[in-house]
Formats: sequence, C-alpha cells, structure tokens
Amino acid sequence: MITIDGSAGEGGGQVLRTALSLSAITGRPFALENIRAKRRRPGLQRQHLTCVTAAAQITRAKMSGAELGSGALRFEPGAISGGAYDFAIGTAGSTILVFQTVLPILLHADVPSRLTLSGGTHNPMAPTFDYLERVFLPQIKRMGADVDVSLHQAGFYPAGGGSWMAGISPSQKLQPLSIENAGEVRLRRIFADVANIPFEIARREARKAAAMLSWPAEAATPRTIKADGPGNVLTIEIAADYVTEIFTGFGERGTSAEAVVARTVKEVREYLVTKAPVGPHLADQLLLPLALAGGGSFVTMHPTKHTTTNIAVIETFLPVELKLDDLGDGRWRVSVRR
Amino acid sequence: MKPRVAIGFLGSTLDQGKNAERWQRWRPTVSLCQHQDLQIDRLDLIHGTSHAALAERVAQDIAQVSPETQVRQHVMDLKDPWDFEEVYAALHEFARAYPFDPDTEDYLVHITTGTHVAQICWFLLTEARVIPGRLMQVTPPRRWKDGDPGTHSIIDLDLSRYDRIATRFRAERQEGASFLKSGIETKSAAFNRMIERIEQVAIRSKSPILLTGPTGAGKSQLARRIYELKHARHQIKGPFVEVNCATLRGDGAMSALFGHIKGSFTGAMADRPGLLRAANTGILFLDEIGELGLDEQAMILRAIEDKRFLPVGADKEVASDFQLIAGTNRELARAVETGRFREDLLARLNLWTFALPGLRERREDIEPNLAFELARHAQASGETVTFNKEARAAYLAFATSPEAAWSANFRDLGASVTRMATLAPSGRINETVVAEEIERLRAAWRRTSAEPDAEILAGLLGAQRLAHIDLFDVAQLAAVVRVCRESKSLSAAGRTLFAASRAAKSSTNDADRLKKYLARFGLMWEAVAAR
Repeated sequence: MITIDGSAGEGGGQVLRTALSLSAITGRPFALENIRAKRRRPGLQRQHLTCVTAAAQITRAKMSGAELGSGALRFEPGAISGGAYDFAIGTAGSTILVFQTVLPILLHADVPSRLTLSGGTHNPMAPTFDYLERVFLPQIKRMGADVDVSLHQAGFYPAGGGSWMAGISPSQKLQPLSIENAGEVRLRRIFADVANIPFEIARREARKAAAMLSWPAEAATPRTIKADGPGNVLTIEIAADYVTEIFTGFGERGTSAEAVVARTVKEVREYLVTKAPVGPHLADQLLLPLALAGGGSFVTMHPTKHTTTNIAVIETFLPVELKLDDLGDGRWRVSVRR
Repeated sequence: MKPRVAIGFLGSTLDQGKNAERWQRWRPTVSLCQHQDLQIDRLDLIHGTSHAALAERVAQDIAQVSPETQVRQHVMDLKDPWDFEEVYAALHEFARAYPFDPDTEDYLVHITTGTHVAQICWFLLTEARVIPGRLMQVTPPRRWKDGDPGTHSIIDLDLSRYDRIATRFRAERQEGASFLKSGIETKSAAFNRMIERIEQVAIRSKSPILLTGPTGAGKSQLARRIYELKHARHQIKGPFVEVNCATLRGDGAMSALFGHIKGSFTGAMADRPGLLRAANTGILFLDEIGELGLDEQAMILRAIEDKRFLPVGADKEVASDFQLIAGTNRELARAVETGRFREDLLARLNLWTFALPGLRERREDIEPNLAFELARHAQASGETVTFNKEARAAYLAFATSPEAAWSANFRDLGASVTRMATLAPSGRINETVVAEEIERLRAAWRRTSAEPDAEILAGLLGAQRLAHIDLFDVAQLAAVVRVCRESKSLSAAGRTLFAASRAAKSSTNDADRLKKYLARFGLMWEAVAAR
C-alpha cells in the first residue's frame, strides 16, 4: 500500500488525480492522507470525488473514505474495463480534469472506450477543451495514442451544461517523446468567445489582444458561442512545428475586458521571451505520459511547485526518475529515465 | 454517508430568473446544490401552483449543475403564506405524510426561502422532532463572484449537542445550587437533592416556603441565600428582613410586625412602618414562626393572602408585597392540634416545606463544614488556623461518632471550632486542644441531653421501687414528671397535661387529677417539681 501525504506540496487535486491514474494502471492500491488538511474547507470536495468515482467506476475499485469532507482515502483498483462511460460532473466542474484522469487508464484497457462528458468545458484553474484538443492531445498522439474528441457545447462556470464526446483506443505502450524546440511558428491566432453576454466584450478583447501582442488585426476573431449560461473565454494560440501552446483568460463580472487581456498577454510574453517550447501547464501534463513511456524529455520554463509535487507522486508509483536540469535563462529540461 | 435530503420552499422572488443572466445572480435553492463541500442527493421542493414554471426551471438548472441531485416537486397552495395557522397546518400535514426514515437518510430543512412565518413553522416542527432533521440556511457570498454559491450553515436544534451551551446550562444550575449551599457545606446526596429542589422552587415560585429543622440546622442561613439567589436573578429587588418570632412576644409583637401610627398607644411617639412593610418587594423571614401569638398569626395570614394588613391604630390598610419564608423547629402540625397554631396559616405555609436535617443526620457533612468553619474563622479573625493531622483525625472520629449529640447542630460546630482556633498555639490545633474540646462538648451535651426515663424516676423513687413498676407506667410517669418540672405550678402542669380533655370540657379540675395520678406512685408535687 502506497501512502501519500495530501498536505505535502501543492495542488491537492493534482496529486489525487495522478495517484488515481497510476494506481489504476499499475494495480497498486494507495492511501491518501491529510487530504487538503490546511485548507479552509478540508477534505475531499465534490470536484475531487468526481474523479475518484470515475476512476473507481472504470476499475471497479474498492474504496474507503470516498465521501465529502473525508480527510483520508483508500483506493484499491481492480481490472480496467474499457467501454462506454457517461460522466456528468456537478457544480459545473471541469470535465477536462476528469478526462485527463481516466485517459491514461483507458489507454491501458483491452477494448476501445467511448466517453460522454457533461459539465464544465471552460473552467478557470483547469485546461479548457481547446487546450486539450489542440495542445495536449497532439503530443499524446505523437506518443502513439489514438484519441479523438468532439465538442457539442461549451460549459462555463457556474451554469455548466457543456457536453462533448471522446473516443479512446487502447495503446498499452506510449512512445517516449523529446521536445527540444518548438520549430517554426506556423500560426498565431486569438479567439475571444462570449456566450450570453454582449458581443462587444468579445470585440474589445480581440482588438486589445492583437494590439498588445502587435499581431495583425486579422489574427483575432471575436465569436459568439452557444452555452447554457454566461461565459467569456480568451484563447491565444501559437502553433509551431512541434508544439502548439495556448494561453487562456476568463472574463468575470467586475473585471474589465482589458484586464483579462492584459493578464493573458503577460503569460504569452513570458513564454515567448523564454523561448522554451513547453509552457508550464503542458509541462505538468506531460510528466505522467512520459513516465508511462519510460523515457523522453522536454524543455520548459521554471518548474512550479505543482510540477515537483507531481514528480514526487509519479516516482512513488513508477520505477522512473524524473530529472530537472537548469539550462539557464529561465529554461529547464525535464527528462525521464528508468 | 447517508444520502442527504433537503426540504424547502421555492423562493418565488429569490429563485427567479428566466434568461442566461439568472446564472449571474445568487439563487438560494440552486446555490444549495452548488456547494463543493455539500452534496444534496434529493431536494423536495415545495411550491404553489402559480410557480410551477419557475419550479421546473429551477429543477432543470439543478439537474445541470448537480446531476447527483434528484429534485421532487410538491405543490402546496397557501392562501396566505404569512398566516401562521394556515402555514403551520399545511407544513404539519406535509411533515406527517412525509415518509421520514432518519436511519437511512439525513434531512436538512432549507429555511432560506419562504416567508418568515414559514421559517418559524419549520423551526417549530423541527424542534418538536415532527421533522427529524436539522435546519439549513444558505447565504450569498459577501462579494459577488460569478457563480459563487456563498456559504451554507447547518443548525442542529438539539441543545445537548452543543458543548458550550450545555456547559453553560450546567454551570448556571450549579451556580444556583452551590449558591444556596455556600455556608451550608454538604456531601450528603439527600441534602444536595433537597438544595436543588429548593433552588427550583426559589427561582420559579413566589409562594411561601417553610423551613423546618432543629436549632442551628442552618435555616436562617438558607433563607438568606435564597434571598441572594433571587436577588442575583433579578426576581426581587427589595430587602431581606429577618426576625425571630420568639423575640416578638407580648404587646410589642403586633407593632413590630405590622407597624403602628403615631399615638396609637402610649409610647407610640412616631409612625413605625413595621417589618412587613420593610420587606416590601423583598423577602420576610419569620424564624420560629411557631412562637408567634394567635392574633399575629391571623394578621400574617391575611398579609400573605391579600398582601394587605392593618397597622396598629390605623384605620386604613396598607399594602406590602413580600415573599414569606418561615422557619420552625417545632412540629407545627402538633401545635395546630393543641390550638397553638392556626390551621389555615399552616395550610398556607405548607405548600413548600423543606426539612433541614440536623448535623447528626448529616455526619458526612461534618468534615466539609469543619473546613468551612475554619475558613470562616480565618476570615473573621484574620489568622489562618489549621489542624495537625492527628488532631484532625481525633476530632473527626469523635465528631462523627454516635456519642457526639450536636444538639445545637451547626451552632455547636461553629462554637467548637472557634474555641479550638482561639486556644490553638501559633495557629495550629494540636491533639491536646482537641482532647480538651472533646471533653468540653461531652460535658455540655451531658447537661442538655434529656435524662433517660429510668434515671429521672430513680432519683425520685429509688432504684428498688422503680424495679417494681411496669415499663408501661415508667414511660408515662417520666413524661408527666418532665412536664411538671417545666411548669410553674401544679395547675399549669395539669392544664398542659390534660389540654385535650379541657378543650372538650370533660374535666375541670386538672390539678386534682394530676395530684391523684402522682399519689398513685407515692409522689407529691413539691418533690417532683423540686429539681
């Protein structure tokens, strides 16, 4: 039984999701203790339970402590069953996070899987559907996975109501991946999307983002998208030969469109200045696939506390070593060795 | 974890909203299902027919944000949701019909929505356990952020679950009881129970209280503590007026109690308000009430029944509202039989009668009271006096033995401690001091204790003659001799001894009857009364 201290490091939710994926794949049970011990509302929250329930459903896991507010969870996975799953996520929680938890598991199933997900698709503090589709999945596909996704409707917090489908074919062995540079930039574009709020906001965001980045005005497209509740998301995309990166900003009441743009553009600039091909979010998400592949490396920006915490969890489950090398000028190399 | 069920009204105003903009407002019923740390598995949503469309939309929105929640709609048409009777009846009926199963489901009554009257009804039904659940309230976020469900709080009405409240209740009760007991230290469970009962009565009742018990059992102290307790609880604001009725005999009694007006009798130089009026809005403690004359008893009765009485020499009644506490060391029922106490007054006093046991019946309390008396002495004299270990053991051994009569109860104990403390060399009571004190107590009790029947008669008749008298007669003769010794004359003794016959007018010459009785044993009045 692997025991993980949930109060150590950062990103309680990420630790849980990584542990669930790896436990299901390796068949090794784990106990997570002191879950969110130092938080204002300690213990498991609904968004965490959603991931636990999904992983448990796929692996027919035996569990204890899988309830709201629980400070300790024991998870004993059974065999992985692929197939059709329907995950409805409450509190307009991120369907993407649930998907990223179950994706590595279902890659290890014997049969293809078809997932229907409903809830949030564009949540702050989580990858958006656009990010998943155009940034994360291309890298996974390069590693040999066969995954396709299609969005039916976007879901914003708090109304939710987003829905999409995913098809996953089993690919037991991922191939190692190496990203030393991004290659030539082929496409730069900006989408300012609004749902159920004035279109003018989208227009202002698009104009402002293009101007701040000194990109041609044609690169920015304001759009109205369909959703059940109000929503506004700014997506800035830089597609290069080997890596596409996306930076996302969310509009909220009380924050001006310009402020949303400025915040997002700042992230874009940091990324462009560093000249590291892999941004901080993608770096976090590539750790697990690379570790499962048993090798590979990529160059990224300064590792966050999330990254180091995540590495620690991975190393407790898998016989791999994840190394961080400072390349100078804010660039780091993450490499995975057996 | 048991499935959680929330029951509540649809908020006809707060839950409103048709277009997408509704998600930018806080809607209590929807927010109920949006909390990260609370999952509602079923929501029983009550609404009127006219709000069916709104209820449906809320149900759909909940299905979207909380797929875990099953929403059941209940139609309840209220003519006036502010009419307490109607709302209570409707909710009571709803609750009665609801298949509550607290073993398998956890119920939360959502009180944020609905009228204040509905809130009150929810509260009453939950408090009465008609609804076996807890109340829940949701509040909007302090600063609006899109979608923030705000906070929720669950209120359990079972007061015993709240440590601080329970402790406080206990402490307050304790405070009451120990308040009364301070100065009456006790370890006796029976005595403790009685004190608790007195506390209850003292706090809740304004009726007279009768304290019975031997001299020195602490009646007067207890009466004063009852006064202080009621005063501390703001139940009375007047003074504590205490009087020993044994000191009120004779002509002055009426005027001392009820007052007089100037010139009402010789020497009445000025108005005198009297003790009853002084006790207005306070407590009047009449100790030894059995010693009160029959006229005064009648006046007292009227004063406690009507709160009015006539001062000596006055032609107008005056009013005084006081609570009466009476003390007695007599068996008042017997005094009623002999015509010395008014039956109607006793009946009035008899509502709350508490018999304070003497120290002999509370031997376990001698030790704590010893400590108390020492502390009191220390406070009064400014010097701390202690026992050495052996001396303390010796004193307690004697004090708790059957030999110790404690005929004046706590007064004896107090006096004994004062004597030892005074004689203690450099504040330490040693075995010598204790040994002397024990002798002193023995001698004192030997003097006061009633001689056994046989001893009384042996002194009069001689042991030899006594041996030929039946025990039957010994008991009667000894009783007669005791009365004779307490009486001034043969006639007085006769009146006491034959009071019943006298009242029935069946005997007129009591003195002769007594004289003849004594003669049967060869005794003369002079010999019997001589000692």
